[in-house]
Amino acid sequence: MAAQVIGAFFASFCFSLPLRVPGKYLAHCGITGAVGWLVYLLILERGFAVLMAAFFSAVVIALFSHVFARVLKSPVTVFLVPGLLPLVPGASIYRSVYYLIQNQGSLSSYYLSETLQIAGAIAVAVFLVDTLFRLVKKK
Amino acid sequence: MDYKLLMNTAVLAGEIMLKSGAETYRVEDTMNHILHLASLHSAESFVVSTGIIATLSGGENKPITVVKRVNERETNLNRVYRVNSISRDLCEGRISLQEAWDQLNETQKQLQYRPWMVNIAMVGITASFTLLLGGNGWDVFGAAVVGALLAAFMYAAGRAELNSILKTTAAALAVAVGTLALRQFIWPALNTDLVIIGCIMPLVPGMAFTNALRDILYGDYTSGCARIMEAILIAAAVAVGVGCGISLFHWLGGVM
Repeated sequence: MAAQVIGAFFASFCFSLPLRVPGKYLAHCGITGAVGWLVYLLILERGFAVLMAAFFSAVVIALFSHVFARVLKSPVTVFLVPGLLPLVPGASIYRSVYYLIQNQGSLSSYYLSETLQIAGAIAVAVFLVDTLFRLVKKK
Repeated sequence: MDYKLLMNTAVLAGEIMLKSGAETYRVEDTMNHILHLASLHSAESFVVSTGIIATLSGGENKPITVVKRVNERETNLNRVYRVNSISRDLCEGRISLQEAWDQLNETQKQLQYRPWMVNIAMVGITASFTLLLGGNGWDVFGAAVVGALLAAFMYAAGRAELNSILKTTAAALAVAVGTLALRQFIWPALNTDLVIIGCIMPLVPGMAFTNALRDILYGDYTSGCARIMEAILIAAAVAVGVGCGISLFHWLGGVM
């Protein structure tokens, strides 16, 4: 598991370069990604569904991103996008289309529903944390 | 106040943000903040993922409306960051409108990282995604080798100004052939499935899909649907590339 979390750190860190994250924030992006993936693995290990793991780790990533954004005075996206990258259902959406081409309909729709679940869970989690921070800001 | 310059500044800020991959609602938010500096009674902006419409009217001025079509998009978080701080400075009165306009133009010219740094990062991405997906040391090493191939390929395709969908397909094909060749000739115990998925991570539209659902949650249905279409198209391009690569390799293997 430690190796996977290190992998997540470097995945977020390295992905920040093609995404053109300002150089001084590269490490913050790596940390966000690593913490998110750690939460994801811990929840999966307890035997919960992928959907739950994606949701809660996205909540943690969004919280980290908002805190970094407030402290460092920069937009949330800068930390959120690289942080979410390990989590995002890139492999599932690829597999879904791949099996469609291979004429394996049931596998294709399985991965399509997994894509929708993960992406939906992440989107709702990010939306929730966004709304929460906006409420706090207004008061 | 020079309303025309204000309008141009707002549209330029919006255009840079939209091109650089900011969320639709955030682009509208920033543009509205800038436009409201005029304190006219009507200032609206309407942003979809492929273009911007903004209008400013009130007082004795003729209404100003600007339409801006945005064709190419490439995520650049540094530009989002810069535009955000420029618009914040402008709205809090720390810089003048002219200064904001000049700084925005400056932002478009900035080069954040040199191409070789991005290419090395590409190798890092493929290796670390394979590690993250549970690959062993050899898989990670193999992914780094295929990642270098991918980076070289993307660089060459960028030079040749290939269409982006075609570029994605060709790159995915190169990844599949490269990985299978690596297993065939050098390292027979390679987990090709893990390595291929790790290596197509820089191509695959996971983020586009998630952002599409976020847009929909914020009520930007047009942008959301457009982005879902984009994500499906890219995923299809990657899958076709990998599928063709695998078939091609087996066909060549059959011939040899």
